[in-house]
Amino acid sequence: MTTNRVDQDALTELFNIGLHKAAAALSELTGQRIIVDLPRLWVCPIEETHLRLRELIEGELATVHQVFMGSVSGDAVLVLEYENASRLAALLTDGDVAVDGRLDQSAREVLAEVGNVILSSCLSAFGDMLQVAVSFSVPRIHVESLEGLLRSLKVQKDELHYTLLAATRFRLTEGEVGGYLMIAVGLSSLDLISKALAEQDR
Amino acid sequence: MAREDPLLSADGESLTVLHELAQVLELGVLIVDRSLVVTSCNRWLAAALPDAMPDLVGRSLLDVFPELRGSAAEHALLGALAGSTTVWAHRFHRYLLPLPPRPSGSEGRFERMQQSAHVMPLVRGGVIEGAVVIVQDVTERVAREEQLREALGRAEVASQAKSDFLASMSHELRTPLSAIIGYMDLLESDMVGPVAPLQKQYLGRVKSAAKHLIHIIEEILTFSRVEAGKEPLALEAIDVAAVAQSVVELFEPQATSKGLALIATLPTAPVMVFTDPTKLRQILINVVGNAMKFTDAGSVKIAVTHDADMVSFVIADTGPGMTEHDVERIFDPFTQLDQSLTRAKGGTGLGLPVSRKLAHLLGGDLVVDSVPGEGTTFTLSLPKVTDAERVLHPAQSTQALA
Repeated sequence: MTTNRVDQDALTELFNIGLHKAAAALSELTGQRIIVDLPRLWVCPIEETHLRLRELIEGELATVHQVFMGSVSGDAVLVLEYENASRLAALLTDGDVAVDGRLDQSAREVLAEVGNVILSSCLSAFGDMLQVAVSFSVPRIHVESLEGLLRSLKVQKDELHYTLLAATRFRLTEGEVGGYLMIAVGLSSLDLISKALAEQDR
Repeated sequence: MAREDPLLSADGESLTVLHELAQVLELGVLIVDRSLVVTSCNRWLAAALPDAMPDLVGRSLLDVFPELRGSAAEHALLGALAGSTTVWAHRFHRYLLPLPPRPSGSEGRFERMQQSAHVMPLVRGGVIEGAVVIVQDVTERVAREEQLREALGRAEVASQAKSDFLASMSHELRTPLSAIIGYMDLLESDMVGPVAPLQKQYLGRVKSAAKHLIHIIEEILTFSRVEAGKEPLALEAIDVAAVAQSVVELFEPQATSKGLALIATLPTAPVMVFTDPTKLRQILINVVGNAMKFTDAGSVKIAVTHDADMVSFVIADTGPGMTEHDVERIFDPFTQLDQSLTRAKGGTGLGLPVSRKLAHLLGGDLVVDSVPGEGTTFTLSLPKVTDAERVLHPAQSTQALA
């Protein structure tokens, strides 16, 4: 099984490198100290992602979705429960946006920028390890259900797909917000990643 | 399996389409080559530039806007040449292209165009040929959001000030009234000397008026506490049928004196619910009292029913009833439908709004159904729960019960 071949510790380490870079960028952007950590990571077939996410999150979601392309390709999504998304936007802007818990246009832009920083930092960490360039589409923010999110993934039917699902926690001066990072890739991309991880360990 | 984004990976034909499309957009679209020399600038962006500025195309963007040198915007452009996409939220950056200030508002101020933006690579044949910059003018939207935030802030301050004022005024009024009632009791009791029967009668009337005033003040106090989210709950497992029975008994003398039939249909076995008995009693007294007040002939019926999930208290009267318009307003605070009734029947107009707010606080609801000329039916429904958690989180409790 491919999922068994992926070295979870090495993968966690890779995510941590990306999140560390993202946190530094976000701290500079907002002028406040931000830590983004990764309490848990799962690798599962895309069909099981649905069940896993259903256990973890409920209600309406706010997602930042980017398609990435290159030798490895797939979908990268920052998934937040709607309330957490508005709380995160408010925390990042000292309450200037997401007034009254509502994601207004400015709050959505803030989340799109934050999502872009996090997703591209993590994917760049993958790209650096694989020594390939990864390019990204423009991030799109959606308010949607879990089903809507899963439908929107650009999964190609010609190969098996897997999800790298990471629970993340944004720690700011005034509070913490939990969310999920989801990277959906095809079997060939996952194989490239797991081989590179294995070589790195040698 | 490698994939390419068709929009960003433009072949000659789709690049032409992109150029054509850019001309009609209400957005600024700028394309630069790998040396940051402008290769395309759409009409919208050209119109935002000063008339004196020569055509951008063919010039280095850093020469046109020297402020960009060493800035985050230059960093974003260089990032795009290395394959990164940058999102530029107005809240963090204000603007990407330092377009010249323009008149803003009616006060003769000048302001730069506020922007949100995207900077992304332009890829052709797998090679990054340059960068695409898209800017959106968000000046008006940001001003609108700012106004909305300020208005919301002012409204919150005003609402808090009103609640604080009501709470402190109610407290200030209640204290001397309690003293008045206390001294009335003392005078009535003959402990400080004999009181003539007529004087006793008058003392009784003063005391009754003072008690009525205290009741009104309590209502205002409860309303302001509930509105400020400061009303505490004291939850315990109680037999709600017994609470309903005690309320019925309370109104029996009034029903007899008005010649009304007070009919109670209550379960014989206890109906145990985890709730706040004082709040439940307060709601029932308000609603039954309301029915008694407005019904001059006929009956007031009180029924308690329950199933696995909910317990319902139905209070139906044969009073004057209400129109659909009146029904919509009945839970608005400080509203009495017929101002002439205020004088005739008394009351603050807060009883029903307070009751509904208390019902919500208990995880339930209070609804009304009325037919003019036939009567009114109030239904109080409460979740039939047995632990505190689900009362305190009604949204979750509803889900859990569903």
